[in-house]
Amino acid sequence: MAAGDSSEVRTELDRRRAASLVFDALTAAIPGLRVEALDERQELYADLGMDSLAFVQTLVELESKLDVPLLDEDLMTNELVNVADLVDLVERISPPAAK
Amino acid sequence: MVAAARDPQLPTHWFNILHDRPQYVASAMPRSRLPEEVTRAGHAVQLQQPFSLARQSLNTADRFIPIPGEVLDLYAQYRPTPLRRAVRLEERLGANARIYYKYEGANLTGSHKLNSALAQAYYYSRAGVKHIVTGTAAGQWGTALAYACQVMNLGCTVFMVRATLRQKPIRGEMMRLFGAVVHESPSDLTDVGQRVLKEDPAATGTQAVANGEALELAGEDSESRFAVGSGENSVLLHQTVIGQEAVSQMAVLGEFPDCVVACMGAGSNFGGIALPLLGAAEDSGRSIRLVAVESAACPKLTRGRYLYDLSDALGTTPITRVYSLGSTYVPPPVYAGGLRHHSAGPLASAMYADGSLEAMAIDQLTSFRAGMMFCETEGILPAPESAHAVAGMMDVVSRHPRQGPPLVVLVNISGHGLLDLDAYRRFAAGEIEPVEANETRLSQSLKALEEFNQAIAAAAEAP
Repeated sequence: MAAGDSSEVRTELDRRRAASLVFDALTAAIPGLRVEALDERQELYADLGMDSLAFVQTLVELESKLDVPLLDEDLMTNELVNVADLVDLVERISPPAAK
Repeated sequence: MVAAARDPQLPTHWFNILHDRPQYVASAMPRSRLPEEVTRAGHAVQLQQPFSLARQSLNTADRFIPIPGEVLDLYAQYRPTPLRRAVRLEERLGANARIYYKYEGANLTGSHKLNSALAQAYYYSRAGVKHIVTGTAAGQWGTALAYACQVMNLGCTVFMVRATLRQKPIRGEMMRLFGAVVHESPSDLTDVGQRVLKEDPAATGTQAVANGEALELAGEDSESRFAVGSGENSVLLHQTVIGQEAVSQMAVLGEFPDCVVACMGAGSNFGGIALPLLGAAEDSGRSIRLVAVESAACPKLTRGRYLYDLSDALGTTPITRVYSLGSTYVPPPVYAGGLRHHSAGPLASAMYADGSLEAMAIDQLTSFRAGMMFCETEGILPAPESAHAVAGMMDVVSRHPRQGPPLVVLVNISGHGLLDLDAYRRFAAGEIEPVEANETRLSQSLKALEEFNQAIAAAAEAP
């Protein structure tokens, strides 16, 4: 990232914020999971043991933190393998104020 | 376009028991804690249910959840359903009781299952899903979903348990009439089905296998999703139109039941009638007995264990704490195929665990005897599942003292038995046996279930 490139700085901050939201939501939804044990490369199913119930619980947490209603049509087509995919999703659906 | 005027007694909201009892929200065992779990690298997490539907199962904030207008208009075509007093049955039994029944069999698809099928098809359609895949045991859910999909312009594929499809092939024809593709389960279309057939080519099938096949097939097409007809909190929620109507209809008669009886598969018709009555009883400071009637061939509440278990044969759905006979238990074929699921749903299980409901197991012969008596006295032939509820209600009534205040009892007739005429013919011919659980298979399955949970506990304690 070039110094002084404000759009790149904003993107980086957005992603950091999105990742933080995702980590908090994951720890709330999956019992026993600790933030310090998380990284974006981990797989949601294979590494974190996320099932459909935990996925929905995570989305409920995110909706509450983002303060924006999540729409069925925005979520239905997503196939998420790792934590980074979920962070990408949050970046896409976050309202401007949350970014 | 609205096809029928909405009756004032048609509820405009679903009743959400999770508001009053948030402890009933299901919690799943994190899969990472499972012993010897096959961690499938690269396996994607994906919503099977639309988010707005799935979140209903977790909603503890709202006691009443609005029914979407489009669903309400469809409900208006067949709801409110009748509530009647079974006067002739009371006379036949010589009972010190006033017996009321709610009849859910008068809609086109013949059972209460339509209440959730229409709601689910609405949410899936709105979310952009094109095709729904499901598993069905007795075929009532499959029929209802096939019709609902047709209404919402969705494709529909149904895996129906082999034993019941062969008992009543006309169920399959009815689903096909509504545009569904119907497969006998186990089938050779899926890995799940092939695995079962390899082990036992004559396998009778179970709801767990049918659901596993449906999940697998749904996962192969990005525009398809899996749907389920019982057990989930959201499904029980949709069914609460039954109990809410019953509360108002009985109030018009100046009545409130002392006892509510319904059959128990995974909990949808039971929850549908019982939960609003429980809410109304608590609102008015009354006490109420809730009695779940299960099949003696599949006695998950009365003989099961309250442990973590798989719900389907694919094994990817949440592993929740339920009263279960073990997911490997294959109940003997009985005509009440809707009562053959190996476990009760998480909500019904939690209610049984905390003493909010009672349970009894009824054998097949006793249920047909009760169903026949109900038909002779009330002019309605109950589905074999509903006949279990009638038999359970008769048992409750027979134990009530002959002197003193009469018992006011409400029973849910969840569906008609007009597609089960062959079973009733066999009953009349003396060919029906009182089928009990398969003890050998049951003890093996319970042992496996307990070992599975011991291993979970050991894994949780491991450093």
